[in-house]
Amino acid sequence: MIAYTLWLVVMVAIAPFLLTLIKAIKMWLLFKKPLSLLQGYRNFTKLLAKEIVVSKEASIITDIAPAMVLAPLIVVVFMLPPPSLSSYYIGFVDAFTITGLIALSTFFLMLLGLDSASSFGGIGSSREAFISALVEPAMILVIFSLSLMAKDLGVAKAAINLNKHFPLQHLASFTFAGISFFILLLAENGRIPVDNPETHLELTMVHEAMILDISGYYLALVEAAASLKFVIFASLFVSFFLPFGMDEPFFVALLLYIAKLVGVSVAVALIEVNTAKLRLFKVPNLLGIAIIFAFLSLISYYILGA
Amino acid sequence: MSDFFIGLFLATLITAILTTRLYRLLFWYALNSLFLALAAMSEAVAISDEAMLISALLTLLLKGLAIPYILKIFAKKFDAQRNIVPSIKVQYSIILIPAILVFTFYIIDPIVFEASKNYISISIAALLLALILMIEHRSIFAKIVGFLMMENALFLLAMSATKGMPMLIELGIFFDLLMAVAIINLLLSRESRHA
Repeated sequence: MIAYTLWLVVMVAIAPFLLTLIKAIKMWLLFKKPLSLLQGYRNFTKLLAKEIVVSKEASIITDIAPAMVLAPLIVVVFMLPPPSLSSYYIGFVDAFTITGLIALSTFFLMLLGLDSASSFGGIGSSREAFISALVEPAMILVIFSLSLMAKDLGVAKAAINLNKHFPLQHLASFTFAGISFFILLLAENGRIPVDNPETHLELTMVHEAMILDISGYYLALVEAAASLKFVIFASLFVSFFLPFGMDEPFFVALLLYIAKLVGVSVAVALIEVNTAKLRLFKVPNLLGIAIIFAFLSLISYYILGA
Repeated sequence: MSDFFIGLFLATLITAILTTRLYRLLFWYALNSLFLALAAMSEAVAISDEAMLISALLTLLLKGLAIPYILKIFAKKFDAQRNIVPSIKVQYSIILIPAILVFTFYIIDPIVFEASKNYISISIAALLLALILMIEHRSIFAKIVGFLMMENALFLLAMSATKGMPMLIELGIFFDLLMAVAIINLLLSRESRHA
């Protein structure tokens, strides 16, 4: 129980750090002076102290939506696969619940974009709906083939099964699922081939367009939700596709887990530096590749594994 | 371990089918050859066959480094069109590629009765996918890359079906490949003179 609580605290605490790390690595690779690794925490405290300004067109949705964006993601954090066997606590939650909760959070984010009646918010919401609708089928297929390989539908149990006896005969299928899930990680978190998190250019922004009209405490909540979402996806990737080190003592396992999360962030940063952002109407092609790989992973499970 | 590399081999081939840039296509070809060489190495270590290890190293050096680099130099020399758009749309490829894979598995099924059936069907699927790569592009460079990818698929077939061909034949194939690249140079220079 203590191990479980400690792990939850670490997960929430590390969230802003990882996004700041990605930004710092990108700046360092572009020969800029990298920003401090504590900048994420500084932004959060700064936003907490600021005054809230709400558009006069806005309804009650603007007051409840930021909390509803964050809340489902916090619930998801409780149900993620654990870093070590001693922090295993909840085993019954399947991946469809997690996908549904993330979709609920996205739904309230889209409402928030529409509510202030500015044209940018509408653009952002429609784009976000477009992308998340395309992410969904690949996500379901990946999760389905993973649960077949791990022989359990519950995410935490599946990760533990993968750690115990890794399915070596399904390694090809596993690789395809990994590629597909990494593309989904980039798409769902609005990283570069899909959405650039740093610009505020009206032609390109997706996530930024939806949160353009909110400020202060509400903005802090939404930013925290964005960083938490990245941690959730990175941790799912790490515990499904790098499933080792769960048998170690708790602190060693936790350190290894954090090191793997940092590794995923570095990989994302390297991809961001090396690729250009796609045009919005080319995004279905990228997600089409994700769907192909997810489907191949399912096919090769049935045909190669027999 | 060779399962993992064969998975990546197929993954790079599929990504090459969907790409729209020439240099990126050459990069995917290099990665494809790299994973082929790694798969051959792990297979050679598993059955302790030195001849296969040598041909894997040659694959790595020739197909993974030399040929993509030479083709890039050619592309610069003949000022090739770098934006190569496949004539099969991505929406159709999404259906077509898994269909080909499933189709080959069921075609191979009554023919071969061995443990290495999966590898043979994967390499024949790779052959057909490389054929798609040749069909869907108008650019001569993409067609060349499709041809080379087809050769990679044949290497995988030879490696998995017969546990490695005799060394002499493999060396002959490598020299053939180099000759093919030299002939392609000639062909391109004629074509650019006519254009």
